[in-house]
Amino acid sequence: MFFKNIITNFKKYSFLLQQLISRDFKVKYKRSILGVVWSLLYPLLTMAVLAIVFSNVFKFSTPGVNYLVYLMSGLVMFNYFTEASNLAMSSVVANFSLLNKIYIPKYIFPLSKCLFIGINFLLTLIPLYIVIFATGTGINVYHILLPFAFICLFMFTLGMGLILATVSVFLRDMFYIYGIITMIWTYLTPIMYDISLISTKLQPFLKLNPMYHYINFAREIILYNRNPQTFTWMVCVFSSSLILILGIIVFKKNQDKFIYYV
Amino acid sequence: MIKVNNVSMKFNLGVEKNFSLKQFFIDFFKAKKKEKSEFWALSDVSFEVKKGQVIGFVGNNGAGKSTLLKIIAGVMKPTKGNIEIYGNICPMIELGAGFDMDLTARENIYLNGAVLGYSKNFIKEKFDEIVNFSELKDFLDVPVRNFSSGMVARLAFSIATIVDPEILIVDEILSVGDLAFQQKSERKMKELINGGTTVLFVSHSVNQIKELCDKVVWLQKGKVFKIGNAEEICTEYEKKVLEK
Repeated sequence: MFFKNIITNFKKYSFLLQQLISRDFKVKYKRSILGVVWSLLYPLLTMAVLAIVFSNVFKFSTPGVNYLVYLMSGLVMFNYFTEASNLAMSSVVANFSLLNKIYIPKYIFPLSKCLFIGINFLLTLIPLYIVIFATGTGINVYHILLPFAFICLFMFTLGMGLILATVSVFLRDMFYIYGIITMIWTYLTPIMYDISLISTKLQPFLKLNPMYHYINFAREIILYNRNPQTFTWMVCVFSSSLILILGIIVFKKNQDKFIYYV
Repeated sequence: MIKVNNVSMKFNLGVEKNFSLKQFFIDFFKAKKKEKSEFWALSDVSFEVKKGQVIGFVGNNGAGKSTLLKIIAGVMKPTKGNIEIYGNICPMIELGAGFDMDLTARENIYLNGAVLGYSKNFIKEKFDEIVNFSELKDFLDVPVRNFSSGMVARLAFSIATIVDPEILIVDEILSVGDLAFQQKSERKMKELINGGTTVLFVSHSVNQIKELCDKVVWLQKGKVFKIGNAEEICTEYEKKVLEK
């Protein structure tokens, strides 16, 4: 009964979801000359800047593997997380004028943002693969496992997005606080540096960060040509499901109160 | 058919200010004070609307009419009581909710239609009808940003009134655009209301309510003051208002 409700509800609103996503796409690229090309160019340019700064100025390197691919794989995934969770956070507040007038399931806004950036993320895989081939890293059979990491990343991001959207309704300061949190988070996640550069005492703390494991999962495959360890698989499944379930519970419990905080 | 059973709605006026971190900490460290600024927008409201009936709501500002409609539309959940609804609802409460100014008129028809809960096929089917009614055929691929406010209103009205719902919620008869379109839109609204659907209708024009409704609910300070025949209640309401 419960699940049947969800499915009929979802069917009814899937067209709206699709419209919201296509709206975001149209608006994003409408008035730029290069349009969708920016989605491909932007990660490449970010990578170039960071590579110059970190490998030349700070002399970071990743022994045995290509630093550009290392950087790019982490960047693409982490950028998905920050962009999608930020948009999802503000999506409910931004659509208050709608929610105040018409009944629309509220989860549709964070979900549409995570999917919209998700499609954008798939586009950024093109520059990632360009770098993989251009640096001579090449691909292997384990690449077919990559979607698993992406799905975990999506679930984790959606869960975080739902929690952030809920909190930001009651506490508008969250927009600023989260800006700082993502900045710290970016540096605490081994994106630009290898985790082995950190002292062994601190490493376990860095590994408490689920983002590390999703990125690590992808890097094991892309850079080290191997199937990630069972432990990595487990951490990915559990952390992403846990956060998603938590997000759904938090959002569902509070969504009826949103309307009073317009 | 709609059944409203003992619906009460409480607003917590004090809580609404509790927006920022600063306030949060101030409240946190202050000795807990009981929230006194409770406000009952509706208390113990019950009535029934039969299929095909046109029911009007009268009452002065703040009587709870809009809150009641919002609860029936599903936007808010009542604090107490419940509502049974049989049939699909079209809340014609706000025109153009969900328009994106950067999109063209064509794109907005689909987006706004989806927001109002129309299906893809329904919009495709009715697309020409919407365009014809709005008289905006030549501006279909122009971003709505460049429209005049009258044109936006015309487009919004045409999208909102294309439906054939079982239950229609109307907050004021809308007449938008220039004089010619105003008359056209008013006619269209009356057509919709008289078209055999169940209608919940709020208006400040007692004459319109008299003209269109079968039954009237008179709300006063969140309570049902009287329910009954449109003609009688409206006359009494008018008398009372004029007395003051």
